[in-house]
Amino acid sequence: MAPVIEARDLTKRYGAHVAVDRVGFVIRPGRIVGLIGPNGAGKTSILRALLGLAPYEGYLRVLGREPFHERAALMCEASFIPDIDVLPGWLRVDRALDFVAGVHPRFRRDRARALLGKAGIPLERRLRELSKGVKTQVHLALTMSIDARLLVLDEPTLGLDLIARRHFYEALTEDYMNETRSILVTTHQVEEIENLLTDILFLDKGRIVLDTSLDEVAARYATVAVGAEQLSEARALRPFHERRSPGATVLYFDGVDRAKLGAFGDVSVPSIADLFVAKLSSGPA
Amino acid sequence: MKRHFWLIRREIWESRAIWVVPALIGALLVLAALFGHVDVVLSNVSPQRGALGGVLLFASGAVFLLAMTTYSAWYLLDCLHSERSDHSILFWKCLPISDTATVLSKLLMGLLVIPFIYFAIADLTTLTIAFVVSVRARSWIGASLWNPGQWLQLQVLWVYVIATLAVWFLPVAGWLLLVSAWARRALTLWSFLPPLGAIWAERVFFGTSVLAHAVTSRLFMGYPGDAFHDFQGSIFALAGFPVAGRSAAPGDVWSLIDPVGFATHRATWIGIAVGVALIFVAIRLRSRSVEL
Repeated sequence: MAPVIEARDLTKRYGAHVAVDRVGFVIRPGRIVGLIGPNGAGKTSILRALLGLAPYEGYLRVLGREPFHERAALMCEASFIPDIDVLPGWLRVDRALDFVAGVHPRFRRDRARALLGKAGIPLERRLRELSKGVKTQVHLALTMSIDARLLVLDEPTLGLDLIARRHFYEALTEDYMNETRSILVTTHQVEEIENLLTDILFLDKGRIVLDTSLDEVAARYATVAVGAEQLSEARALRPFHERRSPGATVLYFDGVDRAKLGAFGDVSVPSIADLFVAKLSSGPA
Repeated sequence: MKRHFWLIRREIWESRAIWVVPALIGALLVLAALFGHVDVVLSNVSPQRGALGGVLLFASGAVFLLAMTTYSAWYLLDCLHSERSDHSILFWKCLPISDTATVLSKLLMGLLVIPFIYFAIADLTTLTIAFVVSVRARSWIGASLWNPGQWLQLQVLWVYVIATLAVWFLPVAGWLLLVSAWARRALTLWSFLPPLGAIWAERVFFGTSVLAHAVTSRLFMGYPGDAFHDFQGSIFALAGFPVAGRSAAPGDVWSLIDPVGFATHRATWIGIAVGVALIFVAIRLRSRSVEL
């Protein structure tokens, strides 16, 4: 199947500052990709380029379209709302539904109503009168009620309480996701989406540091906690990162035979958060 | 078409002032008719009932026309700026609506929808005033206001003025939209300083004032001559005044307006061309802009 997103040499400059620097990646249908990076890594710039919200340099195709010049057509099949601050405060919730239903061919108004009803959100209130958490629920109800081929979520659960978060991710995996859809999600709460993702893209200073599937992560990366007496021996296997923990040093390996590592202790697969920190503090792969 | 309908609805939801301002003006005029000094008016009734009714109709119309042009200009200058300053531009851009459709919907609001809302409220106001005045005066003065012939003439005049002004002011609207899509702040300054600068530069470097004439004619004196056979005559005749040197069939609006002249006049077409170019630039600017 044709890729959902294809980027080559994608670059975004703000004057002299290069926010995204010749980035390339491919996202295929049916994948849930986490775009993970520290603040200022260029995540927002990439998302905006992908959705045609801002001009860019380089080659980019999203759902087969050139996003900047075909934004309106692209938005028929993609679903994204940057964050709750862009919701027009004067707009009433019910009118927001009316309007989106009026202009969007794939918006399922009954579904949005059901989602809002389940969360007990008053429909006749203006968006500016709602609390941050409630606004986020409206935001998510709108985005999730679009039958899109590509769903883009930027820090989707920011401001949601624990229960709402849980509900959201349940809805996302159980109702929304299927093999024809793809999701691109950015978040700082990596632990939350770890079980959901099929692929990860690590971004740092405008460049991609790691682009891999989670299956590959499990096959390639390993961590071992090594005591002081074996440390130099373990270091000979060239870990790409070290982290001190009480009584041991945790070493991070890339592509080293697990049987060899087993000699130093229990081998485990690093969590995405740990891998992210390790990758970013050790420089580009 | 369906999308345009929703875009217009959205604008009306957003700016309640679109109908609140004319409704307030209407309410004030009706209050004046309720509690004002009608007896002053009455002393003059018998000779020129028709004239009096016409003047009332026309005066309230003029108030609405002035408010309408001011509000429309402000609306066009503000619309593409406010969506950037409150960040909502990113929300609208995430919906399948092109920048062209969005900018054209704002243009349509400023040039036609707002004027027709004012027109409708102005109509309602004059009818209410006519009723109030005739009840208070217990006289036939109201009858002239109710005069269906004159009232219909006024409708024709309003529709003609709105339609021709929309075309006439296309370059002005295009410029206001361009400034609205481009300027980060000080919108009012940006709306008139560059034209003033260009006029000044033309005078200094070429010693001519073509631009100055074009701008003043577009803003002030050009329209009546372009769209009417005799603008002054139109006002007076519609108000029912006998005009010197004319047989003054009161309010024969058809003989006063000049649609053919308007459609064939050079200034009209220059205006359309400049307007279209400016609107095109505004659309381009909007496609590249995100929040402020």
